Amino acid sequence: MSKITLDLFRFDPAVDDEPHRERVDIDFPDTQTVLDALEYAKAEVDGSISFRRSCRSAICGSCSMNINGVTGLACKTPLRDVMRSDNSVKIDPMPNFEPMKDMVVHMDPFWDKYARLKPYLQPADKDEDHERERRVSPEDMKKLVAVANCVMCATCYALCPVVSVDPSFAGPAAIAYAYRFIEDTRDSKQAERVAQISDDYLWLCAHCYACSYCPKHVDPQDRIIDTKRRSVQLGQTDAPGPRHALVVAKTIKQTGMLAENEVIAGTIGRFNFRGLLKVMPLGLRMASKGKIPPLFMHPVQKVEEIRTIFDSMEVPVA
Amino acid sequence: MALAIETLPAKRRSKSAEAKRYGFFPGCVAKESCTELFNSTMLLADKLGIELVELTAASCCGASVLNDVNRDVARVLNARTYAQAEALGLDDVITICSTCTGHMRASNKELLEEEGRLDHANGILGKFNASYKGTVSVRHLLWMLIDDIGLDELSKMVVNPLRGLKVAPFYGCHIIRPESVNGWESARNPHSLEDLITALGGEPVDYAGKTRCCGFHVQLEKEGIAPNMVGQNMRMAKDNGAEAVLTPCPLCHLALDGYQADSVARWGRTDLPTFHLPQLVALALGVDSTKLGLKRHVISPGPILQAHDLAPMHVA
Repeated sequence: MSKITLDLFRFDPAVDDEPHRERVDIDFPDTQTVLDALEYAKAEVDGSISFRRSCRSAICGSCSMNINGVTGLACKTPLRDVMRSDNSVKIDPMPNFEPMKDMVVHMDPFWDKYARLKPYLQPADKDEDHERERRVSPEDMKKLVAVANCVMCATCYALCPVVSVDPSFAGPAAIAYAYRFIEDTRDSKQAERVAQISDDYLWLCAHCYACSYCPKHVDPQDRIIDTKRRSVQLGQTDAPGPRHALVVAKTIKQTGMLAENEVIAGTIGRFNFRGLLKVMPLGLRMASKGKIPPLFMHPVQKVEEIRTIFDSMEVPVA
Repeated sequence: MALAIETLPAKRRSKSAEAKRYGFFPGCVAKESCTELFNSTMLLADKLGIELVELTAASCCGASVLNDVNRDVARVLNARTYAQAEALGLDDVITICSTCTGHMRASNKELLEEEGRLDHANGILGKFNASYKGTVSVRHLLWMLIDDIGLDELSKMVVNPLRGLKVAPFYGCHIIRPESVNGWESARNPHSLEDLITALGGEPVDYAGKTRCCGFHVQLEKEGIAPNMVGQNMRMAKDNGAEAVLTPCPLCHLALDGYQADSVARWGRTDLPTFHLPQLVALALGVDSTKLGLKRHVISPGPILQAHDLAPMHVA
C-alpha cells in the first residue's frame, strides 16, 4: 500500500463557473492502474468524481485522459510509472476537447470527423451478385490489421498539436481510418476517399509523432505517410503538401541537399504572387540578419551516386 | 523489472568515442540558412578537443518528407551516408538536427532489423561500388556531450557560467519520438537539456510545451499553423519565467526564432531569444562569443546576455 494523492481536475457546469483542482488522498497499491485508483476514490471518497470507463483492459477505449500532462488510457497506465516524487498523479480531461464534467469530455468533433469518411465498405457491386463473401488475400490484409486495432479512444486526437491550433484538421485517427478503407481491396472509392481526406487537410500533419503514443499501436503517423504516398501515386498533387514533397525530392536528386530557397518557391508555386507575398515578411526578417539560404546550391561530392539511387528506385520528383 | 535491468548489456563506448574522432553529418539547414549552427558546432568541438570529420559526400537524410513520395529511398540514401562513415573507419555519425537524428536512426533501424533491407540497399549501392556493413550508430551532439564527455566534466570546463539565466529547453519532436527509434531517454519526460542547462550554470524552466511540435514541417501547407504552434509553446515558456530558449534542432530554431513575431495577435508578445545547442554550450565554455553567429538571430539574445553579464551587447 502507498499513500497516493490524486490531483484532479474538477468541473461540474451545473454548479461551477470555472474548473478547479481537488486533491484526493488514498491508501492504494501503486502496482495498480490509474483507473483502479480513480474507481477506488469514487467508491470510497467522493462518488461525484466523473470519468468514462467500461472494460478496464484497453479494449473499449473509454478512459483516455491526461495523466501528468500526457494523454493515455487510464486502464493501461500503472500508477508507479507515473507517480511524481511527492506520490501525486495529476489527472485532467483530454486536451483538444471541451470538458463536460470532470474527466468526461464532449467527443462530438472527433465522431464528426470520423463520420465524414463514410467509414463503411463501398464495393463496386451488390452483395446479391456474390455467391460468397468478398475475400481479401492475407498479404492485402496485413496492411489493414494495425488500424483494425483502433479502439477510437481519441488519445491521438488529444495529443495532436495541429488539432490544438486548427480544429479543421481531420486528426490522426480519422486519417488512419480513411487509410483502412483506401487500402481495402474490396472498396471501390479509393480516389474519392483520398481526395476527401486531402480536403480535410491530410497534408497538415506536422510529422511530430505525438500519435506514436497510441495505446493500441495503430501508429497513425505511419498510416498518414502511407496515405500521402497513395495520393501522390494517384496524381492528386495540385496542393502545397504534395508539391512540397515532390520539390524536396527534386532538389535532393539534383544537388544531394534539400535546397531551402527552391523548396519554398516550388511549394507555394513560382507564379503564385499572393502566396509568395505572404512569406515575404518572414523572409525579410531573416534576410535582415543575414539568414539567406544560398540561391544556387552546389551539388555535394559524388552527386551522380544520389541520382543513380533516385533513378533505379523510380522516385517521383517535381 | 529487476531482472530486465540486470540483463541489459553494459554500455559500450564506441570506437569514435575512444578516439575522439567522429563522423559528422551537419544536415542541410546548418549548411544553408543556419550556418551559425555549423560554425558554433565546429568551435565547440575544438574547445572539447574532439575531431568532427564532415561527411562531405552525404545527401539529405530525407527530412521526413521523402517518405511521402517513396517508402524506401531515404533508407538507401542514408545507407550510402553510413557507408562513407565506415570507409573512414568511423562508427559514430554525429547529427546536430533533430529531424536528421530521428530519420537517420529510423533508416538505420530498418536496415539492421528488417529482413532484406540491408541487402536491398547494398544492391543499389553496389552500382557505384559502395556497401554498408551495418556498423554505424547515429547520435545527436546532445547525447555525445552527455554520454562521452559527461556533465560533470562539462561543468568543470565552464568558465563563463550562465549565472542563473532562465532557459526553457525545447526538445521538439524527432530527437525523442518515436521512442522505438530514438529511445535514448523518455519521450514523455525527458530531462537531458535541463541537466545540461544546470551543468552550464543556468536555471532550466519547466513547461508543457517543451516536447511539443514547432510546426516547421507544415509552415507552407496552410497559413498561420506554424506561428500558432510556436506562439502556444512560447507563451507557456514565458509564463513559467523563461528568458531564453535552447533547442537541439535548427528547424525548431527557424520556427521559434522566426514566427514569434507572427503569433502576437493570438498569444501576445513573447520575444524569447532561441539558442542553438552548441551556441550556449560554447558560450559557457568560453568560446569567443563574437564567433557564435549570435547576430544572425531574428530575436536578438543581446539584451539577456548583457543583463546576465555573459557577453557584451554588440556580439548579438
